[in-house]
Order: sequence, then C-alpha cells, then structure tokens
Amino acid sequence: MKKSKIPSLYLGLMLALMYVPILLVIIYSFNESRISSVWGGWSLRWYRDLFRDRDIMDAMTNSLILATVSSLSAAVIGTLAAVGMPRANLKGKGIIEYLSTLPIMIPEIILGMVFLVYFALIRLPFGMVTLAVAHTSFCTPYVYMLVKARLVGIDKSYAEAAKDLGATEWNVFWDITLPLILPAITSGVLLAFAMSLDDVVISVFVTGVNTNTLPLKIYTQLKTGVTPKINALCTLMFAATMLIVLMSAWFAKKSVRKTERRISSEEASGIRNSVGLAR
Amino acid sequence: MSAEIKAGPTEASDPGGVPQKRKAALRRFFDAATISVMPIYAFTLLFVVGPLVYMFILSFLKRAETWGVLREFTWSNYTNILKPVYLKTFYESLKLAFFTTFFVALVGYPFGYFMARLSATWKRRMMLLLMIPFWTSSLIRLYGWIIIFRANGTLDKILMGLGITQAPLKLLYTYSAVVVGMIYALVPFMIFAVYSSAEKLDWQLVEAARDLGATPWQAFITVSFRLTLPGLLSGVVLTFIPSMGLFFIADILGGNKVILVGNLIQEQLMKARNWPFAAALSVVLMILTSIMIALYRKVSGVKDLEGLV
Amino acid sequence: MKKLLGFAIVLALLVSLASACQKTPGAPTTGEGPQDKELNLFTWEGMFPEEVLARFEDETGIRINYSTFDFNETMLAKLEASGGGDYDLVIADDYILEAVISSGLAQKLDLSKIPNIGNVNPIYQGQFYDPNNEYTVPYGAGVQTIVYNPDAVQIEIDGYEDLWDPSLKDSLGTIANHRVINGMALKVLGESYNTEDLEVIEAAGRKLIELAPNIRVIKDDNLQDDLLSGEIDVAVMYTSQVTTAKLANPDLKVVFPKEGIGFGIMANFIPAKAPHPDAAHKFIDFILDPEVSAECFEWLRYYCTNKAADELINPDYRDFLTLPEGFNEDMEMIRVVSAEAEEVHTRIWTEFKAACGQN
Repeated sequence: MKKSKIPSLYLGLMLALMYVPILLVIIYSFNESRISSVWGGWSLRWYRDLFRDRDIMDAMTNSLILATVSSLSAAVIGTLAAVGMPRANLKGKGIIEYLSTLPIMIPEIILGMVFLVYFALIRLPFGMVTLAVAHTSFCTPYVYMLVKARLVGIDKSYAEAAKDLGATEWNVFWDITLPLILPAITSGVLLAFAMSLDDVVISVFVTGVNTNTLPLKIYTQLKTGVTPKINALCTLMFAATMLIVLMSAWFAKKSVRKTERRISSEEASGIRNSVGLAR
Repeated sequence: MSAEIKAGPTEASDPGGVPQKRKAALRRFFDAATISVMPIYAFTLLFVVGPLVYMFILSFLKRAETWGVLREFTWSNYTNILKPVYLKTFYESLKLAFFTTFFVALVGYPFGYFMARLSATWKRRMMLLLMIPFWTSSLIRLYGWIIIFRANGTLDKILMGLGITQAPLKLLYTYSAVVVGMIYALVPFMIFAVYSSAEKLDWQLVEAARDLGATPWQAFITVSFRLTLPGLLSGVVLTFIPSMGLFFIADILGGNKVILVGNLIQEQLMKARNWPFAAALSVVLMILTSIMIALYRKVSGVKDLEGLV
Repeated sequence: MKKLLGFAIVLALLVSLASACQKTPGAPTTGEGPQDKELNLFTWEGMFPEEVLARFEDETGIRINYSTFDFNETMLAKLEASGGGDYDLVIADDYILEAVISSGLAQKLDLSKIPNIGNVNPIYQGQFYDPNNEYTVPYGAGVQTIVYNPDAVQIEIDGYEDLWDPSLKDSLGTIANHRVINGMALKVLGESYNTEDLEVIEAAGRKLIELAPNIRVIKDDNLQDDLLSGEIDVAVMYTSQVTTAKLANPDLKVVFPKEGIGFGIMANFIPAKAPHPDAAHKFIDFILDPEVSAECFEWLRYYCTNKAADELINPDYRDFLTLPEGFNEDMEMIRVVSAEAEEVHTRIWTEFKAACGQN
C-alpha cells in the first residue's frame, strides 16, 4: 500500500495545536509585566520570586508524597482485586466492582463535599491521611481497570501449566502473573500519579492545616491574580516532566522494547476501560 | 500443597463428607483469591459506599435556614429540579456534551486511527507526546487558551497581522471558546480509545477488501470503521460523561455564561449553601451517567470490549 | 507456607504504607506546649505580603502555616468538620462570621493580649455579626463600584441604572456574587439588598434578565485584567480590583452608584478550639501595628480598617484605600436571608446567567 502524507501531516498539526497553549504559558513566564495581558519584555524575575516562595517547596514535597502514597496504595488494592476478583468466592462482586469505580464518574465537587463530612463523621483527622484516602479512591479504578484489561489478554495456559507442575498459587502469581501484568501496573500507577498530581477540587475539601498541595497552590494563585510566577512554576513542572519522560524513554530503549510498546497500548485501553467498565 | 489452594470449582468435585465440607468452607474463606479482594471490599465499603450513602440521604433532607441541614425528610429537592430553569440546565449540559462529543470524535477518531498505523517507535513517541500534557496542570493549560482567545491576544494578533480581520474578534467568553476548551481537554481520551482498538485491527483484512475491488473508502467503511467502532463508542462515553460535570472550563473560558449541571452543583454548594439540593442534583447526574454506561454496554456489547484488549 | 509468607509481605506493605501516611508532616498538631511555636492561619490566598509574614516569624519565632480556602462556605464547612479546631486564626467575610459566631465556632478575644486594638477604625466595628466587638477584629473593607473606560463608553455612567443602556451591548463584566448582582437590580428598583419579599426578588430577576444582552463576562477573579485588556469596557467589581485597575490605568472612571452602595468587611476571628490561641492574639496585634498595617493594605488594596495606618499609606494609594467622607448613609451590607428568599435568589441568578448565555 502506498503511504499517503496526509496522516502524518494531520498528526503533526493536531499535536502542534495541543502544545500551543502550553507553549504560550511558557513564553509568558518570561514576561516582565505583572499584568498578564501586557507584554513587558523578557525577564527572569518570576523565577526568582518562585524560588523565594518557601510555601511552594513545601507544597511540592506534599504533592509528591501524596501522589506516591496514593498511587502505590491504589496499585496494591487495584492489582490484588483485579487478580483475585474472577475467582473470589464472595457475594456482590459485580456491585463492589461498579461501586469502586464511582469516584471517577461522579462530579469531583460533590465527592469532595461528601468526603469532608464523612471524614468528620468517622473522625479521621484532616491532613495527609484524608488526602491519601481521597486520592486513593480515585486512583484505584485506574489501576484496577488497566490490570484487569491486561489479565484478560493473558494466556491462561501458562498458569495452568505451572499449576500442573506443582506450583503454588503464590508461585504462579509471583513468577508468572505479576511479570506479565507489571506493565499494566506501571502504567496504572503513572496515570494515577498524574491524576493525583492534578487534583484540586477534592483536595480543597479534605486537606488539613499544614498540607497544601501544589495544585491547590496553583489554583488559589490563579484565582487571586495571575502573576507570571505560576507560569514559571508550570514551565518548571513541564520541563521536569519532559526530562523524566525522555529519561525513561532512553532507559526503556536499552531494556526490552516490546514491554514498552505494551505499556503504551495498555495505557490507551486502560483509560478507555476505566469508564467502559468491563464487567 | 497444590491441592489445598485450588479454587472453588475443583472443590465441588471433591468427595464430600461433613468434615470435608466444613474444611472446604473454611478453605474457601481463606482462599487466596478471596483474601486478595479484601482490600478493595474494605476500601470501597468504607470510603466509597459510606460517603455515597451519606450523599443519598442528604438529598432527601431539608436545608437549614442559614447553614447546614435539618433532619427532616422531603422530596422537595427533587421536585425543585423540575423547575424550568434547572431542567434547562440539564438540557444545556446535554447539548454541550453532544456538541463536544461530536467534535471530539471528528478530531480524535482520525488521530487515533492514523496513529495506529505508525511504526512501533513512532507509536511510542506519539503516546508519550500525548501523555505529557496530562502531567501539566489542567488549569494552566486552560489559561493558555485565554492567552490565545482574549482581545488582542495571540489569535487576534495573527489574524490582524495577516490582514484577515481588522478589529479584535472577542472570542473569549463565547460558546465557541467553551467548546474548544472542552474538545482540548477531552480529545486525548478519544484518541486513546480509538487507538487501542485500531491497533488491534488486522490490516490484512483491509487489504483483502481492496483486493476484492473495494475502493479505499469502501474498505474503510466496511472493514476498518466497523472494527474500530467499539473504540469510538467507548471514546464517546469517555468524552460525554466528564463533559457533563466539568465546570471550570465553562467558568474560565465561557465567562460563567454557559451553565452546566456541574456549575449548578458547585454554586448550590458554595454560594447558595443548599447542600441537599446539590446532593439531589448529583444523584440525578449519577443516574444519567449510569444510564449512559448501560446504554454503551448494550450497544457495543461487553464482549467486544474485552476482545479488544 | 509460602502462601502465608506472601500475604505477610503484602500485609507488611500495606501497614508500612499506612504508617507512611501518618508520619508525613500532614497530621494536624494539637496541644502544643504553653509556648505556641506555630500559627495555623486560614484565609484566602494573597491576604498578606510575604515580607510581613516573614517578619512576624522572625520576631516571634512562631512558624505560620498559611492554608487557603476559595469560598467562605468552604471555610465554614471545614471549621464545622473540625469542631472549631485545627485552625488558629481565620479571616473571612462579614455574613459568614455571623454563622460562625452563632454556631459557637469562634472564641471571645482576650483584648488584653491585643494592645493595638485601639488602632481599629470604629466605623468598621460594632457590625451586625459582632455588635460588641467580642469575637472579631476587622481586616480590610470594600464596596462594589462601577469602573469604566471613558474612551470606549459613549454614555455618562453614574449609577447601576445606566448599565442597562443598550449602547453597552456585550461590554459589561461583573463579579460572580449572586447577591451583589441581584442586588444591583434590587437597588435600581429602590429596594434593599436584604429584602425578604419574594415578589420583589422575582421582580429583580425579571429586571436582571433585561441586562443579559450587555453582559460579556461574570467572574470573581481578575476581572480587572479584562477591563485593562479591553475585553470589557465597564465592570462592576470589588475595591481591591478597582484599586489595581486604577493604578494600572489612571484614565479609568470610578463610580459610586447613586442607588446606594454595597459594603463588606473582612475580619479576623479565633476558632473556638484553636490549638494556638496565644499565637493568634500575637498575630492580630502584630498586623494592627500602624506601619505593618499600612504595608498590608498597600498590598491588599482594600479599604484600610486601621485608623492609625491611614496617614502612613503611600500617597499614591491613599485615596483608594480610605473611605471617602460622608459615605455612611447610603451603605448597606449584604446579609444572609431566609432559606426561601435565598432559593429565589439562586434561581433568578441561574435564570440570569442562562439568559446571558443565549446571546
């Protein structure tokens, strides 16, 4: 089949369009003027201001801890559930499965509000704990869906063969299933991490005295006068993301390529299934 | 040892005396699979069902005079939704969601489809390029659109510089701006969905159709499109559902003039202090969402969805 | 055996995760020693200049944990959830203070710990939410004003009524506070902001619908940017936004509407079970110091509530930050109305916004 140029052109154009807003945010981070609608010449003053802002560093640390804790908890809960669910002898599996995905389907604002009141009701102290619980609730479905989707694609004969050879359930899980679903877990964790790192609406309600997160900081600053300091912050975050992505791509190149490819398609089908709710 | 941990089905065939039965029941309880789902059971019951039950109860309570709720039962929060202005809000939300979904499909389908035909290396690169924006704050990305749309902003400057327009277009705070913002925020989901189904497509089928004399267009419709339809459908669901609740896009790019159910819930909570009404709105929204998903399952068929992976 | 080991590992992992949650600096600290070394401040973003906060920390050795909320209602919900604990000092709007105090979520101030209390401008004291000044100390006040760009507007604007003029089509921006904007229509009809007459509120709603074609944007944050960039020509906004706009573009015209002026006060209070009340008192006293106060208000850009600080404010700002003379008569504060009235208010507001979207 002859290759047409139209697909590549289309892909390139759309991708460029996706990055234009981000690019503009980056450009305006070098704007000397405090008012965002006026261009006052190039300057690094907002980066200087940013580094002087001690709260931002705290918020950054909090966010990273939170995203790590909640995406890892989600990984444990989600993976165990996805592996065990098909064979578990418990009632209401379908309902629990449906309910566990609700946190990504109902409006965040209402979820935040009920969490606030509910946590107060069960006397959970507001702070990192409440934040982690709330974030885990919307991180778990991503991991669960991705792993579940991956498990469906795995040839069951491996596990059966292993069992016939006398392997225990644990051996099968550890030596066969886990390596096969690891890419799905990884991408689930990455997605969950990103979601946690971007959450504002729920966090506003369940955060405590001392636990500002970075998105909260960005949100409140955006609300009270956009200074290019926020642009500067986002530019740095963007740069860091790029760096991590490039580095991981570089490392991945050195390791098995096939696994990498699987991650990508896993991500795609996982996001789809997260609401598609394969039952 | 291997016999001991075999799961349910095999146990049924075990010869069954009374002691064995008890043992089997015990074993079932301590079964590996059962234990491994305990965390999600506990978490879901404690931290998802609990709050949701609370929300459901709340939607039947009366609001207090100034703040909080009274413990009195009422239907009024639900009958309140039937007032023309609130029904209209639901209608407007649905309308915008349809608009958004339509355009997202229009833009995202070819993207996902073309992407699936790239080489493995480029597929990986594209996937990374699509994921990166996910890692930057979604609010900030919207702010980028303000820079583009505002009076004498980037777009105005380009158009006026080229002599296409003479005066600022006043694009910010319009319905179109909201639609663009929604498409921008949601198109990746469509791309991922279409891509993952197109990637599994057997291109030999398309070629076979061509060999049998089909035009490229016919081959696409009869083979590719039909086989990627489940992906498109799940993309539709993935776009449609969040677009009902995304309130900050309508706020930021629409100048607060496009009110969606999400905005209404937010206002009821934060400004009108009417929590029960907000809860009732959320319950209705949740029901609508669930209907959408059920409909999707019916149309696409669960098997298709699983077969894709 | 191996099976058991496996679950033990998973269990251990879970436990370690759980304990990791607890160890993180998030857990609220209650019951410090007699010497408060921390102050949990809870207010909007950007209420104080960085330098002032840093100086307080240097002078007293108290570390400030600055948490923010976006709406008064979020604050009250959080305060209620913690039973009036967790936070040491809150700054919020007048109407919500009434709810806070009546719910018993605030504690009485110990005025002996606030020697600078005499600096407060008495105009801002003795308000409905705290008639005897037992719970609150004002920090900033504002009015809603009309600001417009005379180059872009053909008519002379001197009140809310003029905003209905057809020549202003698609060029008006307003703040997103439903009571303020509904109140505009009420004022044009010659009524009070706080009327409980449902018929009157409905009438205001009908009046407001006629304003819809002129509305370009409704938003609370950074409305002044739109006025400065030419996105809108007329704006109804808060004092801090007016000050910022006027400082950036002195040609803008500021109008105190002839129909009457909506007025609001922000104030400090100490929650009932504040873990560090001493630190909170110290902070209130610190920001009442005239020089600190002047610095704060130049930053905050709301009316200065500290009489002693008035003359210390930079002359460039002073006119904007002090209440014009003889202002008292026309002013009215927006207060919480009955549930029925509030329901009508939110409904006409939603109808109004929907009408704005139809253009």
